[in-house]
Amino acid sequence: MSIRTLANSVREGFQGILRHPLVTIASVTTILLMLLLMSVFVVFSADARYIMKNVGQQPPIELYMKLDGTEEERAAVSNYLTTDTDHVLYFQMADPEENYNEFKTNLGSSSSILEGFDYNQYLPYTFHIQLVDPSFADEVVMHLEAFPGVNKVMQERQVMVFLTQATTWVNAGTASAFLVLFLISLFIISNMVRISVYSRATEITIMKYVGATNAYIRLPFIIEGAIVGLVSALCAWGITYFAYSRIYDSLMAQVEPGSFYAILPIQSLSNGILLVCAFCGILIGAFGSGVSVRKYIQV
Amino acid sequence: MIRFDNVYKTYKTGTDALRGVSFKVEDGEFVFIIGKSGSGKSTIIKLMTCEERPTQGSVYIDHFPIFRMPRTLVPVLRRHIGMIFQDFRLIESKNIFENIAFAGEIVGMPRKKLIQTVDIVLSVVGLRNKATAFPQELSGGEQQRVAIARAMVNDPKLILADEPTGNLDPLTSEAIMALLEEINRNGTTVVICTHDSNLVDRMKKRVIEIADGYIVRDEKDSGYTCEADVPPEQCEEL
Repeated sequence: MSIRTLANSVREGFQGILRHPLVTIASVTTILLMLLLMSVFVVFSADARYIMKNVGQQPPIELYMKLDGTEEERAAVSNYLTTDTDHVLYFQMADPEENYNEFKTNLGSSSSILEGFDYNQYLPYTFHIQLVDPSFADEVVMHLEAFPGVNKVMQERQVMVFLTQATTWVNAGTASAFLVLFLISLFIISNMVRISVYSRATEITIMKYVGATNAYIRLPFIIEGAIVGLVSALCAWGITYFAYSRIYDSLMAQVEPGSFYAILPIQSLSNGILLVCAFCGILIGAFGSGVSVRKYIQV
Repeated sequence: MIRFDNVYKTYKTGTDALRGVSFKVEDGEFVFIIGKSGSGKSTIIKLMTCEERPTQGSVYIDHFPIFRMPRTLVPVLRRHIGMIFQDFRLIESKNIFENIAFAGEIVGMPRKKLIQTVDIVLSVVGLRNKATAFPQELSGGEQQRVAIARAMVNDPKLILADEPTGNLDPLTSEAIMALLEEINRNGTTVVICTHDSNLVDRMKKRVIEIADGYIVRDEKDSGYTCEADVPPEQCEEL
């Protein structure tokens, strides 16, 4: 195929889009919805993986002593953590007052509700522990739970399990919705192409009689679909970029960027989302048009 | 150039369009195919362009068995055939130059050669000064001449015309036929399906007459009406 033929097909593709603006808008909207859903899936997966990676690298363990725990019991735990350097990288004990102050700090402007709170009666001593390797987590937790005076040992692994499960559910839901929207998109594109084919019926007949190949006749329609897909992709990317930036600003206002719970900034996701949207948009548009035009043009 | 061997064509609706049609058209011949509506004239044209396939029998164009030609090769065949229609079939959104160049673009003719060729065929049909006009700005006769120019642009060996003067007045029809005759004199085979009895009578070319799917007459230098050796009952049907 010559460059001129390709250029002609691209020109015809653009003309096809402008010929039926309402149909084009319907097609763009449908593909846009599908790509938006996919972008949400991509963003959620990327953030979940990022958090899991951070948490997984150094899972912190929070140990809560019983409220009536003794000094000896705390010393025993502290001794164990100090001596077990093979497993424990770092630990820090916080007394009820320190926990109370941290709690107040976290509450910010609402901290006044804690005025007069008897923290010695309700807040325990805690240990914040980080391990040399996350794979030691189960073993260390088992040891710590055996100490007298230990109320409970919390692992961030639970957060990871939750994230994994949530990701699975979100992925399944997204895949189902994606499939439905994909079929709707194909249907809409099929109609778009049918209208386009009917409006160019004379031209197509003439092309057939003067010896145009199937590929030559189909190419403008495929390009038309691909352009619609690309426009949808760019819109989906723009909306995702704007919405995620707002969500990021809102969420990260209360979370340190280096925290385990920090999510990825939009700059890290932007190119990936654009690539995925563009690829899927163009593929859906071109594939939908190609299949439809094959059906409607009996060459 | 063209050979039909015992060709039958039955459409899916059960209509028998052709029933054992056989004829030959030599290179450079000028042939009229005549017959009343529904007699099978258009089916013959459709079989020549592979728009339809024979139910039985063989069709050859330039010794090539097109009746069993793969679909992918049909465009190649059509590039060697110039088609002219009663309703001209010009693209209204393209100007005259573009309408003609369109046929050359499809076959990948180089741009420079295409411009030259379009210029030549426009001169042949006498519309060189209308290159930038649009079809709706032209008269019926001029539009048909554009269609002839488009049919000529790929230098076909065969021109098939389906009622080319059906929408034209007698004077314009004469001019169109003169043009086709001129093209034929330069070696192109011309096959025309028509109802125009005056033109057929005046031109005295070979006439193949179809009735109910049969060839009832095939005469050289003939007219629209039957000659003496054709049974009168078949003549009366026309």
